[in-house]
Amino acid sequence: MMMGALRHPARFLRDHRLTRTRASAYLDGELGPEEQARVEAHTHVCPPCARFVAEVRRTVAALGALRVPARPLAGVGDRVIDRLREEPGRRRDR
Amino acid sequence: MSEQQPSSADDGALVARAAAGDRLAFEALVRRHADRLYGVVLRLVGDRHEAEEVTQEAFLRAWRGIDSFKGDSRFFAWLYRIGVNEANRRTAGRRAPVASLDEQFVDPADTRPQPDLRLEQDDLRRALEHAVKGLRPEQRAPLVLRDIEGLSTAEAAAILELGEAVFKSRLHRARLRVRDAVRDYLPEDPGR
Repeated sequence: MMMGALRHPARFLRDHRLTRTRASAYLDGELGPEEQARVEAHTHVCPPCARFVAEVRRTVAALGALRVPARPLAGVGDRVIDRLREEPGRRRDR
Repeated sequence: MSEQQPSSADDGALVARAAAGDRLAFEALVRRHADRLYGVVLRLVGDRHEAEEVTQEAFLRAWRGIDSFKGDSRFFAWLYRIGVNEANRRTAGRRAPVASLDEQFVDPADTRPQPDLRLEQDDLRRALEHAVKGLRPEQRAPLVLRDIEGLSTAEAAAILELGEAVFKSRLHRARLRVRDAVRDYLPEDPGR
């Protein structure tokens, strides 16, 4: 990390900022190839950024697990349908 | 509750029939999407009763307006947009949902026997739910649609009627806030 920062401090800081502000787009595969490569390379020479990206990645993965449904949802569809049946038929209702 | 999104091709035939006035076809769409829409709306409004009202209202509006559905997006994305707009209308000015979601989201598939691991997972889940609930609405909605519901950036941004750049910026800020709140509960990264 330090060698890279000392040799090219301006580039290191640019890529550090890029990684911090674009980590989500990087993880979502939404960066262009040049920025993707810069973030990738930076995380190899900057342990704090490597940890940062890893934490965001694990956070996103954990959020995906919240999608599992809850049992109290049962019956919502039936109640919606009951309400719909109180609606007057639409013009071409069969 | 379906765990997978039905394909837009599956919906297409039902939508066409519903648009022609076939109420039974629309009821099939309700059965297919109601639980999932309710789940999204619940995360946005934070109250089960209100979430059900919003869900009902969204379907009623969809039924009344299905003639205007152009088919240029998936049906559930169009439906989500109606639901999100209704949720936003009701929560305008509120800072955060009013009720705890913790007890409402149970993972029935999680049957792992290790109590310590289960405890850690429960802690993480509670921390995540709390963190999501505490987000500002304009950050919460992108995160719910993209990271919890698993929609694409383009689809979620369209539902929220946001440009993709704005959407991505809000999503990133939301993820960082959640990460700050749950980092102590995150599992170790085996790759690091």
